[in-house]
Amino acid sequence: MEITFIEIKEFRQTMLVKRGEGFDFLREMVGMDWEKEGLGAIYILENSITREGVELAVRTTDREKPQIPTVSDIWYIAELYEREVFDFYGIEFTGHPDMRRLYLRNDWVGYPLRKDYDPSEAINPVRLESETKEEVHREYEIEEDRHLAEMVEKLKILHYDQYVINIGPQHPATHGVLRFRLALEGEEVRKVDIHCGYIHRGIEKLCESRTYPQTLAFTDRLDYLSAHQNRHALCMCIEKAMGLEVTDRVQYIRTIMDELQRIDSHLLMFSCLAMDMGAITSFIYGFREREKVLDIMEEVTGGRLIQNYNIIGGVQADITPGFASKVKEYCNDQKKRLKEYYDVFVNNVIFRNRAIGVGVLTLEDAISFGATGGTGRASGWACDVRKRHPYALYDKVEFKEILHTGGDSYCRLLVRLEEIVESIGIIEQLIDNIPEGDYKTKTKPIIKLPEGRFYAAVEGSRGEFGVFIESHGDKMPYRLKFRPMGVPLIAAAQKIMKGCKIADLITIGASLDYVIPDIDR
Amino acid sequence: METRNTYIGNIIHAAKSLLTGMRVTLREFFTRKITEQYPENRSTLHIPSRHRATLVMPHDADGNNKCIACGLCQQTCPNGTISITTKTVTDEETGKSRKVLAEYHYDLGACMFCQLCVNICPKGAIEFSNEFENAVFDRKKLIIKLNR
Amino acid sequence: MLDFTTITTAIDQYLHSVMPAPAATLTECAIVAICAIAAYLVFAIVMIFMERKVCAAFQCRLGPTRVGFWGILQVFADVFKMLIKEIIEIKRSDHILYNLAPFLVVMSSLITFCCLPFAQGLQVLDFNIGVFFIMAASSFGILGILLAGWSSNNKFSMIGAMRSGGQMISYELSVGLSILTLVVLSGTMQISEIVEIQTQGWFIVRGHIPAIIAFIIYIIAGNAETNRAPFDLPEAESELTAGFHTEYSGMGFGLFYVAEFMNMFIIAGIASALFLGGWAPLYIPGLESFNNAMCWIPGIVWFLGKTFFVIWLLMWIRWTFPRMRIDQVLVLEWKYLVPIGLLNLLIMTICVVMGWTL
Repeated sequence: MEITFIEIKEFRQTMLVKRGEGFDFLREMVGMDWEKEGLGAIYILENSITREGVELAVRTTDREKPQIPTVSDIWYIAELYEREVFDFYGIEFTGHPDMRRLYLRNDWVGYPLRKDYDPSEAINPVRLESETKEEVHREYEIEEDRHLAEMVEKLKILHYDQYVINIGPQHPATHGVLRFRLALEGEEVRKVDIHCGYIHRGIEKLCESRTYPQTLAFTDRLDYLSAHQNRHALCMCIEKAMGLEVTDRVQYIRTIMDELQRIDSHLLMFSCLAMDMGAITSFIYGFREREKVLDIMEEVTGGRLIQNYNIIGGVQADITPGFASKVKEYCNDQKKRLKEYYDVFVNNVIFRNRAIGVGVLTLEDAISFGATGGTGRASGWACDVRKRHPYALYDKVEFKEILHTGGDSYCRLLVRLEEIVESIGIIEQLIDNIPEGDYKTKTKPIIKLPEGRFYAAVEGSRGEFGVFIESHGDKMPYRLKFRPMGVPLIAAAQKIMKGCKIADLITIGASLDYVIPDIDR
Repeated sequence: METRNTYIGNIIHAAKSLLTGMRVTLREFFTRKITEQYPENRSTLHIPSRHRATLVMPHDADGNNKCIACGLCQQTCPNGTISITTKTVTDEETGKSRKVLAEYHYDLGACMFCQLCVNICPKGAIEFSNEFENAVFDRKKLIIKLNR
Repeated sequence: MLDFTTITTAIDQYLHSVMPAPAATLTECAIVAICAIAAYLVFAIVMIFMERKVCAAFQCRLGPTRVGFWGILQVFADVFKMLIKEIIEIKRSDHILYNLAPFLVVMSSLITFCCLPFAQGLQVLDFNIGVFFIMAASSFGILGILLAGWSSNNKFSMIGAMRSGGQMISYELSVGLSILTLVVLSGTMQISEIVEIQTQGWFIVRGHIPAIIAFIIYIIAGNAETNRAPFDLPEAESELTAGFHTEYSGMGFGLFYVAEFMNMFIIAGIASALFLGGWAPLYIPGLESFNNAMCWIPGIVWFLGKTFFVIWLLMWIRWTFPRMRIDQVLVLEWKYLVPIGLLNLLIMTICVVMGWTL
């Protein structure tokens, strides 16, 4: 990956030009600490139509008060990404409308992903008192030279006279520990303020002190419903950097497992959406079939949630003898069951009324928020990594990229259900033709990557899952960044939840299908 | 499709979709149930052989294991789950002294089942077993000595 | 068929023979109260167990199987658990109202429960405006829910209570309209008389089309009255955690729970009394031997059979559909059920006037 560094003074101008050239999708933004060369960020941009990519970076040597102009008005998603970089590297983005920490507490001392961060417990003890509410925006006004800026305190985030309720962190509908602070007016939501970080584990920081094989185990614990795909992405990135080719058999197995995982995730999405809307019976029907997928995966990988299957150069173990017949039996059964879901839930008038036209995400917004996966495709954005940048066997199998144009919660569910059918199709094309060969390529016991920056992406269950590695030639990564699938989704949620009812908020949340451990890495 | 937009059409369409849903649940009412009654079904329970429940060190009939105390598993473990203590014994015939395993401690509570230790072991001395009923009341009980 | 009036009269005469009249009346009141509360609890237990099993069957599960044979003691275990739970005092809540609310809800459902005609003569409250009385008594349960939400000092409870206020007051109208349709058909408001008339054919058959429409409206509105899915917005667990009873623990919650189930029983009981003939056996004109055979089945079996059938129907609905949104709930009521109900009332009146009933 070739990165162009831009001077800080020309940064905003360059970014605006790039946006004008059609680079409307900010694929990834990686905060970096290059020690002597300074702090900065890497921006991976893509043109959503031509699929052409460009990698830019900006850095500043000021470690005391590093400032970089914001791009949050150019790509909406940068608002959250910049807050994340601010949180971990202390880089303040001038012109950003809401410069608060994203994951850590307000009273956290220091910036943990900096290389000179002191992790001692004396500085950041386990604090037992509750966090002080930070109701004030901090904003840096851009001055003439687009660099030096003064901090000003702006409007309160939520006013004291508003009817504020917390959905989460412990709430049945947030699918984990995410917290929405809502300002309500009757049943209507006036403003949404999202708080993440309740289960942030610092995986990216941990990876910097782990060898490459050791980093693999973390991926299953990000988005646990895309465990295979996540690990596939990391293995692919490392293999790409090593120049390692895996055998055809491995590619087949990986592709099949990825698709099984996708079915598993989409079934869970359907079930949880049903449960959030009160249709508990549909929830159990979905889980009944999901159980069968898990059984198949457990037979091969030994795990139901934590799969631990892909390894660098192959897979952990060969597929079991009865695998193909079990998968085929399951696929046939699933196709019949899908009709049941449509009958009992999807076509139900109550559900249709609650989902159609609720939480509409326009195509422009979807791209600007980088909301890939089923959410983006429901808005009509052909964002499937399997089509955009084919990997494994996806250029050899035939499948349709499901696109809907409604952009509402109903379309988001339909995309998932139709993708189950496509995934079954992919599996059926591959399952009988798995070639003979080794299920793993021998690697050296100590894996060292050559110096450089590498990015690999797969289509996870709910969007593009990317892995960025900057290697300095060690056996450990200098910087390892996962492109989360969930952050764009909650960023989009913040916008489309405005003005809806409380009940719609639940529908939108469930239909966006975010998984919290993926947001809080 | 046109009838959907009229008042009566709406009602008929809604009623039809509701009745379809009710038909599905009614059919389900009479089908066989899928509940698995653990622990009553222990005898018929199928646990795939690859299921990773706890780390074990197989011993042969004489009580010997294959571990050579090389310490690779200890090094490779991301969580520091494994700790090995060695002792030096002198072979009586040759008079050479060599390092052998004294105690192999494994902390099940901190293990994340990444299989790196099993993969790296040059002798295949350790493996994951299917014994999944590992609940205990005290964390200390999860630190297990694997060798006999 | 067994007429319970003979038994009650016998008890009455016996009591009057051993004590002065005021004391006898007092004793009768006490006996009736104890019997009613006992029956109330027994039905609650049966229904909670039934709900668990029926819901499980719809979801291809087995339901409780551990406590007692086939899980039969599960409800007792639940009640025991609730009894030993700590009752939490909420800071800055309105203690009097907070503690009063569950009793209001239970009281309302208990009074309505007393109006149900279990069998001929087996009815606690029976007077000439019985139908009105039922509607009046059942509608003050809403007060308890509103107070519970208000006094809990919890924003979720508050929203739940407000939702239930809007919903239950609206749906009372539809329940009333569909009951009125039946009153037009029967020509009386006394419940015992309404059932008596139906020994010559159930109203749902005699009133044919308008009666069936009224029955459907009644079932929908009744479901909404009891706050059960698809109308369970006041306690929508995925939105408001537990709605108006979020802050209640132990038996406070237990009372709401029991009242919810009993309200369902009452809705089903009224449906069976007004539409399905209450304790009146199946009557087909012309088949005298068949009708005589049906008469051998005691009235209480008929009544409970019909009631539990309606309850099963309600459970079937509850475990099939997703939840509605508050504005859609109100749209359904005001734009669909009320106009159709009014029209239906008109049709029924015309039918009765023209003698088009069976």
